[in-house]
This record gives sequence, C-alpha cells and structure tokens, in this order.
Amino acid sequence: MEATNSIDRRKFLKITGISGAMLAIGFESLAMDMGDDPMVKAMMAEDFIDGTAINPFVIIGEDGQITIMATIPELGQGINQGIPAIIAEELEVDLNTVNIVKSSATRKYGRQSIGGSRNTRSLYGPMRKLGASTREMFIQAAAKRWGVSADQCYAKDGQVFKKGSNSGLAYSALVKEAAAIEVPKEPALKSKKDFKIIGKSFPRPDLALKVSGQADYGMDAQTEGLLYATIERCPTLQGTITSFDEGAAMAVPGVQKVMKVTRNVYGNNNVGLAVVASSYYAALQGRKALNIKWNNAEFTGISSSRIDKELTKLENEDGYEHVEKGDFKATLDQAAQKIEVRYDLPYLSHTCMEPMNATVHVKEDGTCEVWAPSQSPQVQRQFAKILGIPENQAEEKIKVHLPYLGGGFGRRSMNDSLFECLQISQAMTKPVKLIWSREDDTSQGPFRQRTAHLMKATFDANKQPIGLQHKMISQAITTQGRPSRGRLPFEVMEGINTHYDIPNISTRFVEYKNQIPIHWWRSVFGSTNGFAHEGFMDEVAVMAGEDPLKFRKDRLKSEPRFVKVLERLEKEADWNKKLSKNEGKGMAIVESFGSIMAHAVFLKKEKGKVSIPKVVSVVDCGVYINPDQVAAQTESNIIYGLTAALKDPITFENGAAQQANFDTYRMLRMNEAPRSIEVHIMENDEAPGGMGEPGLPPIAPALANAVYDLSGKRIRRLPFDLQRV
Amino acid sequence: MAKYTLNINQKQVTVDADPQTPLLWVIRDEVGLTGTKYGCGIAQCGACTVHLNGNPVRSCSLPVSASSGQQITTIEGISENESHPVQKAWIEAQVPQCGYCQSGQVMSAVALLDKNPKPSDDDIDAAMSGNICRCGTYTRIRKAIHNASNEISNGSN
Ligand code: FES
Ligand code: FES
Repeated sequence: MEATNSIDRRKFLKITGISGAMLAIGFESLAMDMGDDPMVKAMMAEDFIDGTAINPFVIIGEDGQITIMATIPELGQGINQGIPAIIAEELEVDLNTVNIVKSSATRKYGRQSIGGSRNTRSLYGPMRKLGASTREMFIQAAAKRWGVSADQCYAKDGQVFKKGSNSGLAYSALVKEAAAIEVPKEPALKSKKDFKIIGKSFPRPDLALKVSGQADYGMDAQTEGLLYATIERCPTLQGTITSFDEGAAMAVPGVQKVMKVTRNVYGNNNVGLAVVASSYYAALQGRKALNIKWNNAEFTGISSSRIDKELTKLENEDGYEHVEKGDFKATLDQAAQKIEVRYDLPYLSHTCMEPMNATVHVKEDGTCEVWAPSQSPQVQRQFAKILGIPENQAEEKIKVHLPYLGGGFGRRSMNDSLFECLQISQAMTKPVKLIWSREDDTSQGPFRQRTAHLMKATFDANKQPIGLQHKMISQAITTQGRPSRGRLPFEVMEGINTHYDIPNISTRFVEYKNQIPIHWWRSVFGSTNGFAHEGFMDEVAVMAGEDPLKFRKDRLKSEPRFVKVLERLEKEADWNKKLSKNEGKGMAIVESFGSIMAHAVFLKKEKGKVSIPKVVSVVDCGVYINPDQVAAQTESNIIYGLTAALKDPITFENGAAQQANFDTYRMLRMNEAPRSIEVHIMENDEAPGGMGEPGLPPIAPALANAVYDLSGKRIRRLPFDLQRV
Repeated sequence: MAKYTLNINQKQVTVDADPQTPLLWVIRDEVGLTGTKYGCGIAQCGACTVHLNGNPVRSCSLPVSASSGQQITTIEGISENESHPVQKAWIEAQVPQCGYCQSGQVMSAVALLDKNPKPSDDDIDAAMSGNICRCGTYTRIRKAIHNASNEISNGSN
C-alpha cells in the first residue's frame, strides 16, 4: 500500500536529539545519524507519521498523538505491542491511546533481529530506560517553564503536572523544549507496584488487521510492474545442473526469463533455476517445463537408514564434556540395577504458515527497495556489497519494508530467499516477488536436527538413583560447513537439567556431521534434549517407585523456582486425583531461554480412540509484559510440540526429503488438539525470561509420560501415533 | 488467456487469465485482494478459503474459469470495520498470532455459523479441521466460535 502513494502525501519527520538519546541508554549502534534522505522515493512506514521524533522510537504529534515505533519483526508473538508497552509504561502514556506503528528495517532502531526468545529479555532494560529518560525530559521542560524544580513535577497520561495542581501540560506542548534538554543518563525507573501496563493484558493492535485480511505480509507486497518468480532446486539439496529445456519454459505465455540462482546454505552454494513471469501461475507452468537433469550422484546415497547407522556408530564415542559431577562410570559397577535406553528424534521442517518469499526491486537509478519477511531484516549492508553500493550509502539507497511475518520459528533467521530474489531483480532491474511453493518450503531445508540420546541410570539396592548419564549425538548448527571446533558447540545441551539431586551425573555431546543443513527450530536443542531427558526421568521415577511429580520436587530442592512451579502444577492440575482406568497423565518440566515451564498432559481412551482433553501448564518467566500473550505463546508451543511428537518426520531417501506438502507432512488439526489448555503464571520479581520457545521442550515428554501412565507403553522415538498406544 | 467477469464482494471485475489459473492467484494478484492467503495449493490447509455462493471453498484448487458467474466473497467482503460477530469474537478472544491462517479460519467459521448458528464442539471440529493453524490457536478459535454463536443468537432474539 504505502509504496504506491504519491509523494505529496509524504510527511517529514523532524529527527531531533537522536544521538544523545541513544548514547544515553547505551545503544551505541543506535546513535548513527541517519541524515536526510530526500532522494529516495520509496514510501516507508515512517513517512506517514506526522510529528516530532524525540528519539527514533517516540514521536509526538502536534495534535497530541503519541506514536511509538514497533521495530522488532512481528511473527505472532505480540512483540509489536510488547516492546512499545515497555516504553509506554515508563513514558507514562496510556497504551490504549498510543499509536503503534510497524517500522521499516533500518539501523537507526538498533538491532531488529528476533530469535532465541531474546527480545523482551534483552530490550526490557534498555526500553524502560528509553521511556524513563524521555519522560524526565518532558518533566524538566515543564519544570523550567513553570520555574520550579523537577522534583516538584510528575508525569501522568502524557502530561506533566505540578504537585498539588490539577492542570497539566501535554507532552505535545513541550516537545521543542524537551528535545533541547540533555538526555538523562540514569533516569529513575518506576517500581513494579506502580506499573499500569506491564503485567496486564492489553488487546493487540495488529489483530484487527489480521481478522480482516489487511495485515501486510511479505507475500502481499505489491508494487508497480511486479513480476513473479519460482525456483526449481535440486531435490538432493546439492548438485549441479547438467541440462534443462529453457525453450520449453520460455514458450509458456507470460514467462519472461529463466536464470540460474544460487542459494547459500551454510557455506554450500546450491544452484537452482528461476523462472520469472508476469504471474505466479505462469512461472509455475514454466518451471514444470524445465526438465532439469541434475548431476548429483554423490548425494543420492543419503538416506534416513544410513543416518541411523552413522549415529549408532557414534554411540561409543566419549564426546565433549558438558557437566561431570561425581563419577558416573564408577556407578556402573556398583549399581544394583541399571536402565540403558536410547531416545531418537527426527529431522523436521519449520513449516511457517506463510511459505518463504521475498520481494526485491533493484531500480535503474541504483537504489533498491526490499520487502523482507525476515527475522533479521536489516539486509542493507549485505545487499550493498552485492549491488556495489558503498557501505556508507547502504541505508540511504536500500530501503527495507518490514512486513508482518506469517510465522518464523527460527526459519526466517536465514535470509536465503531474499538473496535469491536479489539476484533475479538485479538481473532484470525490475520488481520481483519470489514465492517458495509449500513443497519447496518443506523439502529444501534447513531442518530441525535429528538426534540420538543414550540415557543411562544406575540405582542402589533401595532403587534410589545413584547415577545419570545423558549422551547426546547430533549435528551442531554452528559448526556446519566447517571443521569441528574441538569443543562443545554453542547451545547444544539446552534443556538438559543437571540440577537433579543424583550424586553422579554425566552429560556429554558427540558431534555428528553430514550434509543435511540444520537450523534454529523453535526451542532448538531444547526441543530434542527436553524429550529425552524428561522422558527418561519418568523412567527413573518409575524404577524408584515414586510419583513422577513428587520425584522431581524431592530432587530439585536446590532450585526453589522449580519446586514452586511443580507445587503449583500439582495444585492446578489436581495431580494427585486418582484417574479412571481409561485415563492417563504425564508431566515434565524444562528450563530454557530463561523461563521454567511445566506441563501436565491428560489422556483419555474412549471407544478405542485416544484424545487429549486437557493440558495444564505452569510457567515461571519472571516479570512478564502481557499475561495473555504468555498464555498464547504457551498454547502455541503446545500445539507446535504436539505436532512434532505426533505427526510426520522429515525422512530422506536417495538424498531427497520424502515429505513435500501437508498431505505427507501433516499438521495437528483442530479435531486432534487438546480441548482445553490452561496456563498459570508465577508471580515474582525475577528478570524477564523468554516466552516464544520455553513452552515447547516439556510438551513431548509430558505426552509420552502420559502414554506410559495410560498404557504402560514407553515412547522413546518421535514421532509416534497416539492411536496405536 | 481469456477474459472472465468475476463477482467478488458484490462488485464486478474483469480479469484476463489462463483458464486454469487458480482463483486464489487471480484474487490476490490480478484483483489485488491479498487477504486470501496461499498456504499449500492443494486444498489441505484452508488459508485460501473464500465463499462461493455462501459455501466455503479452497480458492487454490478452483480454476478461475469455474468461478465466473458465481458470488465470490473474500475476507475483505464479510464486513466493514471488522464488525462481523465472528471478527469481533476473534478479537475478543485474541485469537490470531502470526495471523496468516486467520482469513481462512474466519471464512470457515462464518460459513459454519451461517448454516449452524449453534455448533457443538464436534460440529466445530468437523467444520474447522480443514484449516491448519501452525501457531496453534485452536483452543481460542473454538472459544471464539462459541462466543460468536452466543452473540448471534442473542442478537436475533
Ligand atoms: S492454499 Fe488452498 S487449501 Fe492451502
Ligand atoms: S495464527 Fe499463525 S498460522 Fe494461524
């Protein structure tokens, strides 16, 4: 929409005092002066706001309208409101009357990437400071005008008041003076008891757009003369092109170009053939006519059964140390009893509801306009390199729209589709929208890692656990396309709880290497480790003859936050209530991304059919912004995790993924979802934890443990069929 | 290529398209109504749901040639200002997350309630299980449909 509006609608922002404000809150990277960019014609979100920017995030209109920029990619997690809410709290403005505007992607907002459930955690402090220092500037401006000291004044509802007086001065009346004031370096932050916004549920501003088809996703980018592209890539991911029928593709009405495009995935430059046409349908028809012959013999030997064998071969490797407490190996000889089992999890696809796509317009005047449905949308510098634009002109010449994201789950932190689309648009100097088909999206990776977990426990004569081993075998994300680093790679042991009060614990990682690309997938290694670890703890509890929840409470005493979560779960789930014979319950608790999450899953078997009537969840995520969004993210993780546990894996045969669309890579649907999900949030003053991912790791083990309770069958390999337990 | 006159949201539009082009891409790229989404292209996910003479259909699997002369309603056509009871219930229950599936969810729910103003949970399962939500908003959708149903029946009393 915004791109096609005529230039006279453009409203100019007066940017004042940015550098000072940004430096004051410790955002060196935010302090870059953007300067004026009158020559760029692309209409960006910011161009439609009227007012004075007291800093890049807060704009005050002459009419009193306060605008707060939402700069972090919104992929469903409510961050578009979450971060502005933090600013609004300290700024003392009413969130319901604030105009929240989705920004473009540009360096003036600092880092805009999203992932690792990190954004609320990392921005909570800085954004409070930003809001508070802005508030203090208004207070000082008013105090000066009134000739009183600042401590005689206070701010409320976007106005400054003198103590004891009822008539206030609106921020909009103070903008000029406030902007001239030096940004306070250590503004006073509000205390939690005075919060009016943080910790309360506010309706999300983007939802009206999302129930009426108005939200702008990358897939919806529209601009004059737009062309559509699709790419045929090698089914074995890697391979070179031997031959193809360009003429047949070009003969399809509407097809304008066939060209090679490379996709860089962890150091591999994989070649594909793009077909560009005046409509997406024509491009697809052209693609069907390509008849590409691939030279990929060296990759066709890759198969799931070969991978299974390769993982098994690594079982006896010692691997890298993660935690060694006591002497686990010694307990193997002393033990009266042992359990030794293996847990396995498959490759998976991220499968965002909105397939990968990108829109890029490399223009004849040397500028470039981008629609980046990305978790890391600030592509200016990398694009500039490719386009031969000097780095110091990258921001000025390359404008990046930040659409809503139809899901991310880690997949959109890889910008492969944007770089593919850039190559096409660069070759044609025309606006091009590249759309990955669902089949491309499912089968071309990168994938969630496939893992194997060797779990061992040793017990004394009283059946008390004396030793625990968790040896994890997997690829690592951060060492792909390069040799192993000879030490424990980043984050591979996420979600493995070594706080259990067992005297001898050994947790180790054995690195597996192959060509299949893996990438951050919602909760990453927590999604695999959590299943093996908490599923196995259930086995240990059963061996010890104890209730699994009580077992955990008794052995996590060194971690009081865990114990409190478990006690709350016990109560909210009515855990100790006896179930009937056709019912089952299971629970699990995992800490990841700074939050502790426990789920209790209830199962019911009726007329031979197993269903999930209820999931009860308790989360300790420290201070939270919007409790309804804490619940929403938990519900979301439960469904995403149940899909991973119960639906399809990605498997390989002849080097190619065997799943392509929702008929072969199925998703959990309404009729299979739990009828009820209850989320309970712990109240405390701990630092904010992440919420986008922590709900996922404990769901599969809680489910598997419930299956055991219902049927006596132990699930150690995902996915599994709930109707066959 | 051939010319088709489509009746979309009570307006006539003429488009030039290959007869086999799925209605989805015509609605999105020729007519410019981008609320209807592509999710799978094979009638498996429901993201592309529109109404054809009041019935929910998957526009990704319906050729444009079979759509002309019929009443087509897209998400943009069900109300002004998000005032349909289903949309209001969706906002009330804060259903959408990423939102990408939600045009299709709303269209399926509107069609359900048109035919069955008091759906049971099983009716909801039957009508809504063709719509995938990767963000997992199912429990909220169920709640919102019940709320919309109450609102509709109260309103008509
Ligand atoms: S896009 Fe039509 S059903 Fe999925
Ligand atoms: S809200 Fe994201 S797919 Fe349904």
